[in-house]
Amino acid sequence: MVTVDRTRGYQIFRVINTLVLTGVLVVTLYPFVNIVARSFSDEFAIRAGKVNLFPVGFTFRTYEYVASDPTFWTNYRNTVVYTVVATAIAMFMTTCYAYVLSKRHLKGRKILIGIAVFTMFFSGGLIPNYILISSLGFTNSIWSIVLPNAISVFNLLVMKAFFEGMPTDLEEAAAIDGMNTYGILLRIVLPLSKAVLATMVLFYAVSFWNSWFAAFLYMSQSDLFPVTVYLRNLIAGATTGTSVGADATDLTVATNIKSVTMVLTVIPILVVYPFVQRYFVKGVMLGAVKG
Amino acid sequence: MYEMNRRQAMAAVGAFLALAACSTDGGSGDSGEAKKSDDFAANRDGAMSDYAAGKQFTAAAPLTFGILYNNHPFYPLKKDWLFWSELTKRTNVTLEPNVVPLSDYENKRSLLIGAGDAPMIIPKTYPGQETPFVASGAILPVSDYIDLMPNFKEKIARWNLEPDLDTIRQADGQFYLLPGLHEDYWVDYSLAIRADILDELGLEIPQTLDDLHNVLKAMKEKYPDSYPFSDRWSNPTPGGALLNQILGLAYGAHGGWGYLNGVTWDHTAQKFAYTGAMEQYKQMLQFLHTLVEEKLMDPESFTQQDDQAIQKLVSGKSFVISTNAQTLVNEYRPPLKKANPKAKLIKIPVPIGPLGPVKADATTTRLENGIMISKKARDSKNFVAMMQFIDWLWYSDEGQVFAKWGIEGTTFTKDASGKYQLAEDVDFVGLNPDASKHLQKDFGFSNGVFAYGGTTELLQSTFSEEEIEFQKVMNAREALPPAPPRPLTDEEREQASLWETPLKDHATQNTLNFILGKRSFDEWDAYVQELEAKNMSAYINLMNNAHERYKKEHG
Repeated sequence: MVTVDRTRGYQIFRVINTLVLTGVLVVTLYPFVNIVARSFSDEFAIRAGKVNLFPVGFTFRTYEYVASDPTFWTNYRNTVVYTVVATAIAMFMTTCYAYVLSKRHLKGRKILIGIAVFTMFFSGGLIPNYILISSLGFTNSIWSIVLPNAISVFNLLVMKAFFEGMPTDLEEAAAIDGMNTYGILLRIVLPLSKAVLATMVLFYAVSFWNSWFAAFLYMSQSDLFPVTVYLRNLIAGATTGTSVGADATDLTVATNIKSVTMVLTVIPILVVYPFVQRYFVKGVMLGAVKG
Repeated sequence: MYEMNRRQAMAAVGAFLALAACSTDGGSGDSGEAKKSDDFAANRDGAMSDYAAGKQFTAAAPLTFGILYNNHPFYPLKKDWLFWSELTKRTNVTLEPNVVPLSDYENKRSLLIGAGDAPMIIPKTYPGQETPFVASGAILPVSDYIDLMPNFKEKIARWNLEPDLDTIRQADGQFYLLPGLHEDYWVDYSLAIRADILDELGLEIPQTLDDLHNVLKAMKEKYPDSYPFSDRWSNPTPGGALLNQILGLAYGAHGGWGYLNGVTWDHTAQKFAYTGAMEQYKQMLQFLHTLVEEKLMDPESFTQQDDQAIQKLVSGKSFVISTNAQTLVNEYRPPLKKANPKAKLIKIPVPIGPLGPVKADATTTRLENGIMISKKARDSKNFVAMMQFIDWLWYSDEGQVFAKWGIEGTTFTKDASGKYQLAEDVDFVGLNPDASKHLQKDFGFSNGVFAYGGTTELLQSTFSEEEIEFQKVMNAREALPPAPPRPLTDEEREQASLWETPLKDHATQNTLNFILGKRSFDEWDAYVQELEAKNMSAYINLMNNAHERYKKEHG
């Protein structure tokens, strides 16, 4: 008997598949490796184009230099604080809203969904948002970052679909045993939803970690910026021709310093990813298929 | 998903600016007219009654002014900079910076002005960038108030800057930007060339574009494997410096960074012309095409990253590259010296082209980036004091020396002949490479927000000997008068911006095609016809009519 994986066609497919995916892997990985190599390299070697996969003129000096900048660490701490607080708030809000929306007997459910989905396609625009946030007195405070993005509609819909897929019998049984709504949510539903919760935490945390725009808009003191704004300023530098042309006396920041800052900024995300990944696939697939 | 929001947001800024003309914005437009511009009875708090040019400004009472602050990554803002404390000591004024990363300064500026939340002082605005805000009524027509600024007025008169100032006047005859002022034209960009190769080939430093062509040919003959000329500053604008400050100046038609809205004043015709269709522009492209065709110039010059161009120079695959004073010293020489100790790279005077030996054509002015003032500042009781303060810090000789060099005896010394010298433990632009402190990073001086413009002496005080030599050669050349004003009305501006972008896209795209030989110059007329189909004549007529109208209304 010939099973699928023994057929000649399948063998060839596997070889090609491996080759193609290895290629993809190399292409994806190379920029990372290159940045890491640059961060440990001598500046002149980078300028001369000698740095590819391995550091040339190995040195820790650039790390020491970046680490000696207090603004970098202040901003780094801000990023951690903003990410943790924002993720906590976002998880609370999203879970509550998604659970409510997953109940088909809820009156006005369609309107509530519509309100959420509406914001996915239309936004108030930049200046009205800015005026709103500043009239609320949120500028230059953590609230301007953690509150406006507390519910991501995409995450909300994934979560709602997940809750809808949960057997109603379980909740009914719990209700018969005398549990109230909150008990059901906290003791029955959430413990069974670890996969989707982990995924949502990952989604939110990564997006808050990477976000810079809200802070750029609402913060006007450099010690309130997250590290992403610091990094962006370092890398993007002058973006327009006029400023490049006229600021002739301005100096640019060395490539190795940029690389070190990039490495230090992505490390936490790189470290967290592998641990959350097993939930990640499961959580999203469940939501998607059963929705 | 966040990306999407951001882009929508940016579109919203644009939409708002278009709409802002219609909004009443708290009636600020009316209050300006109701109040006579020279009635300052209610705005004199803290001002000096006897403030005059050359006099130290000190506010009568401690004042605080908000300022939009462009935070440079090379010297990020520190609150303990000597600059802040000394400024307060001398002027009794404390600046309250609203810190914006340099990378997105322009976006935040539009947002804050649009939301009516901008600080009173908005610096780092380049001439022309103020125009979109004029219609919104959020920006003060500063030309009404220059009587409060004796130093500014004095410099305009002494350096004969009126024609330059005319270039930033709007349709109402006012200007809305306090530009930085230079005593003389400042040419910084040119070509860097390997002098040791010239010596080896027994060649002189090229004076004209023809000389340059011959030098490149000789280099190619000796080193057939090289492209003698491989250029940088091509991302995102191809030929950024080359087509603008270098060849643009030689031909009198600016491409690259200087293409802007594509309108050039043609001296001989006394009319505005579309840059991309000018004969001068064509000649410039033909020159470059010849270089590319003869394999003297690297075709990648117009697409590669700066780092790649530098690598080619360092590894001896090319010998000529665009430069300015800073990049020559900081980016080219150190790695080149490491790779090849015998290499000698020099910056040559801008090669002379058909326009003759000029240091400035109609497109260049002596204006620098400058300051916009929020309209609401006019109603502040400290308005007069603020204008005096701005006048002192940005326009008085003393204020300019302070912003650039710092404090005599602490950050610099001045010898009997008036030559500036950095203090021994202070570094700036590599003048004291072993010093422990940095003039910009540790003291906050020579900060792009506060220090620019001024006398040639002050400008050159940080230059090296060889750079001063270069400046001498360039300054001896002729300056053509700047283009006359052609301010558009709101409706015209809207119409012009609709035509401008497709024209510019087509011209820049074909610029590359012509240079690289993807399109033959036989097709030049066809190309001009294509521009014509994109409303080129209508666009240029608009500019010429605006010019005529301005001449009639304001002389």
